[in-house]
Amino acid sequence: MTPFEHSVLDVAGVQNAYIHTMWTVLLGICALMYVLVLGFLLWALLRARRTPDPVRPAESTGVESALYAWIGLVIVGLFGITITSYAVDRAIFAAGQKSGLALEVTSQQWWWDIKYQNDDPSQSFHTANEIHLPVNVPVTISLRSPDVIHSFWVPNLHGKQDLIPGRDTDIHLRPTRTGVFRGQCAEFCGAQHANMAVYVFVESQQDFDRWRAGQLQAATAPTGSTAAQGRDSFMTSACPLCHTIRGTDAAGVTGPDLTHVASRASLAAGALDYNRGNLAAWIADPQGIKPGNHMPTVGLSPQDLQSIAAYLDGLK
Amino acid sequence: MCSRYLRISLVGPLWIVTLLALGGCQREKRQFQSSPVTESGPMQVRTTDLQAGQTTPLQPDARRALYENNAYNLSEGKRLYQWFNCVGCHAHGGGDSGPPLIDSAWRYGGEIEQIYATIQQGRPNGMPAFGGKIPEQQIWQIAGYVRSISGNLSRSASPGRNDEMQTSPPEQLMEKQPPVTSSPAATEGTQK
Amino acid sequence: MPDPQTGFRRVPARIGTRRLLLAATIAIGTCRVGAAEPGNPSDWTMPAHDYASTRYTDLAEINASNVKNLTVQFTFSTGVARGQEGAPLVVGNTMYIVAPYPNDLFALDLTKPGAPLKWSYKPNPKAAAQGVACCDVVNRGAFYYDGAIYYATLDGHVIAVDAQNGRELWNTTLGNINKGETITMAPEVVKGKVLIGNSGGEYGVRGWLTALDAKSGAIQWKAFSTGPDSDVLIGPEFKPFYASDKGGDLGVHTWPPGAWTIGGGTVWGWISYDPDLNLVYYGTGNPGPWNPEQRPGDNKWTGGIFARDPDTGRARWFYQTVPHDLYDYDSINELILLDLELKGQQRKVVVRPERNGYIYIIDRATGEVLSADAYGTVNSTLGVDLNTGKLKYNDEKKPRQGEVVRNICPTAPGAKDWNPSAYSPRTGLLYVPHTNLCMDWQSYATNYIAGTPYVGADVKMYAGPGGNRGVFTAWDLKKRAKAWEVKEDLPVWSGALATGGDLVFYGTLEGWFKAVNARSGALEWQFKTGSGIIGQPVSYRGPDGRQYVAILSGVGGWAGAIVAGGLDKRDPTAAKGMVNATTDLPDKTTKGGMLYVFALSAH
Repeated sequence: MTPFEHSVLDVAGVQNAYIHTMWTVLLGICALMYVLVLGFLLWALLRARRTPDPVRPAESTGVESALYAWIGLVIVGLFGITITSYAVDRAIFAAGQKSGLALEVTSQQWWWDIKYQNDDPSQSFHTANEIHLPVNVPVTISLRSPDVIHSFWVPNLHGKQDLIPGRDTDIHLRPTRTGVFRGQCAEFCGAQHANMAVYVFVESQQDFDRWRAGQLQAATAPTGSTAAQGRDSFMTSACPLCHTIRGTDAAGVTGPDLTHVASRASLAAGALDYNRGNLAAWIADPQGIKPGNHMPTVGLSPQDLQSIAAYLDGLK
Repeated sequence: MCSRYLRISLVGPLWIVTLLALGGCQREKRQFQSSPVTESGPMQVRTTDLQAGQTTPLQPDARRALYENNAYNLSEGKRLYQWFNCVGCHAHGGGDSGPPLIDSAWRYGGEIEQIYATIQQGRPNGMPAFGGKIPEQQIWQIAGYVRSISGNLSRSASPGRNDEMQTSPPEQLMEKQPPVTSSPAATEGTQK
Repeated sequence: MPDPQTGFRRVPARIGTRRLLLAATIAIGTCRVGAAEPGNPSDWTMPAHDYASTRYTDLAEINASNVKNLTVQFTFSTGVARGQEGAPLVVGNTMYIVAPYPNDLFALDLTKPGAPLKWSYKPNPKAAAQGVACCDVVNRGAFYYDGAIYYATLDGHVIAVDAQNGRELWNTTLGNINKGETITMAPEVVKGKVLIGNSGGEYGVRGWLTALDAKSGAIQWKAFSTGPDSDVLIGPEFKPFYASDKGGDLGVHTWPPGAWTIGGGTVWGWISYDPDLNLVYYGTGNPGPWNPEQRPGDNKWTGGIFARDPDTGRARWFYQTVPHDLYDYDSINELILLDLELKGQQRKVVVRPERNGYIYIIDRATGEVLSADAYGTVNSTLGVDLNTGKLKYNDEKKPRQGEVVRNICPTAPGAKDWNPSAYSPRTGLLYVPHTNLCMDWQSYATNYIAGTPYVGADVKMYAGPGGNRGVFTAWDLKKRAKAWEVKEDLPVWSGALATGGDLVFYGTLEGWFKAVNARSGALEWQFKTGSGIIGQPVSYRGPDGRQYVAILSGVGGWAGAIVAGGLDKRDPTAAKGMVNATTDLPDKTTKGGMLYVFALSAH
């Protein structure tokens, strides 16, 4: 698995940059207040130990002005937070108004269906669990869910946005540096909620265009007899009932699109790194790896398992 | 005096509550992992009531308990019923190009083993054969769900009301209609 | 008198009553029709009666004043109690009937009392084909041409049978049931070519229209409804009228990648032919799946009307009545070829009472839409923009996955489904048997699994405004408005027949066979047959010179599914929502399969 980043604090997108500003201001103000409060507490404790008689507040000098100063500080602090919050919110909204790339993400239990939109429908395509984005290009992702509430969260890029059945929500991103960023589902959605990751690959415009052109192609024809046998085994067993391989007769949509499965970095929404061994393991025993997920244990013969894995491994 | 009364009045309900709470400890077992050996093992099934010679009753299959009384398997069956296009020919039990599954009339038998066989083997007048395509465990789950459509399974295991558009009555609330094999209602209209 | 076999009618040519009476007298007096020539106007050699699809017969012996004496002359049981959608054919003194699956073909000898069976032909189609027939195991009839009877079977065979002795001349397999393909339509034989299309728009079938050589059954050309231009037979001679239909390989580019291979556009309805322009006209069915979000784009060339050269199959023009169809509004209904005077000009037009609720009048040379007027309750669309030709969809009624959209009118079977209308040149009215139904709809993502339905929508139908589920409308094509209508309780799913006696015949879903006055709509006569009527009435002159009217009675089809299939009314989505609208039908009719032939009782 390529190394990835997964941190709110490592800013990689415009929206997260604003959130980070908010976070910093909040941290600063709260840290200051925290230090002051603790400082006063310490001072009070130390003073109380030295003095046998407690000082009556009315006789103490400077307490009233200290109090006013404290109230002033709190007000300034709260105003600061409020104004920052307002400004950040406006900035994030403004950043989301720009249009660029359009995606539609449909969350399923427990994987992500990613669709790259286009005005020309023959230039649109589906992939799963992996998003590629060109750096510095605004992206609008419409979010939909057919089953339960999920939440899309790529912490390096933006905050969380829920995907709610029956509602359309969206999230706007604009990555500012290249890298691989891990995201995950952030709303409990069932047994495998913890294993529902999505990887966002932010790359240069050329790399993105190349990737996109590759994804638009129909599935690679199998090379070699094992892979060819694997394609036939694939088409005659349970697989096409749920999966699509564009360019073949397999057109199931309730499972991830497999047209370019071997080009992806992970399998099963991040449960496994992609390599042929893991692929075969996944096909052989998906319930052992991700219990309760909707891929059943398909009783394949060892030969079929090998040939299907060979075929799918060629779908780059 | 007051505190003793208080203690006594609390003790009884406390015991009851504790016992009830302990009763809820048994969670339904979910078997995610299917065993190809048991799921596709041989099964005794007939599609007609008529037997030549002395009649012998069939033993209910051992898998009944797992697939008829398990809420998880029934809800999975309901999901698969839609995913594998059963809705397209049988609607939500009312039928379409295929016969209704919500009533007591069954051409090829309405016990779970018979439904399993029908799905796996297909039938001459238009039921496709799903054997070799849908894995055996899932066929059992679908067969169990189909049993629940006609209200034949326990209320606690059968699925409840849909979130989507109201179709047939919820399986939980369906009145029980024991299957009648090869009844005229089931077979009339066919050529064979 | 126009020749129904090779010519289309030039209308309107009003035939005076005296001339008719004279003709009738001569006919009755002199006509000993031993072996009438094919092309005899007193025959009925193709389901639509003529290539212009008027479904009108000049025969005027039966009229409003004597129709009360219409009685059953003979009956014949098809032996199958499923939906009888066929049109009986009469050639000379033989009547030909095609039954629903298993699609036996019967020839009845009209010269003998009781019209006994002359021969029957049994094609033995695959029983499994019943599993991929969306809307009952129907067959819409055969076609007589040059001494042979041509028809198709449910499992996708096209067969030519010798009209005299019932021997099979050839049998060509065109459909594959494992892809969900069946054939239910009646072929159209034009210039020695048998034109036939497939069914299966609900099964992810890629639609096509194939031409077979009438003598040998060999494939002459095949025009797909989706895919690259080379498959759709689109070339330099293709001149669509509207900009949205112009462009290269639109049958690929208006679909997500690969979706056109399972995109529908099946050809299962009616074909008309204009011998002067040398064009055949037909429509393509709905795109698949019903869930529109799985196939963004205009989805060409589904849901539209093609004009093609019958010799080569190459397309001349196309008009899409439902771009990116949202509601299963197939575009396969009958296309009536007429010469109408519109805005002071004589125009050669094609008239199409469409499923989406509009009666289209389209210039049949160019494909220009001259008018599109609603003939029923329509809220799914807001009219047709005549400048661009585009149908304007109503955003409020657009299906969205996961949402229920309520009260969409018309329903999925449309304001009118396949059951054909008739035109009378005497009255200038189009007689449209149709429905008044609305629906709730919820779509969801659906897997394509070959041999199973590819739909992705739950539907519930119910009566539209007014509460009557059926209507029989007489539409004035000049005024572009209803002249009169008859409201029916149940959906009207039968064809219509117009006669020279100024009567129009149709049947109701509970079994009444009715004759209404062609001018006023008044009910002149009715007869209760044994089962609901969804067939096509025909009329012919028998060997004894009398006028006969024939109809098949046997409920089924989509509208009668609850009875034909024994469905359960507790599920409102059964039969794709039709059960909800017909829960009372089993109380009103049972299954049947009987031919009824009527004539005036001989005095």
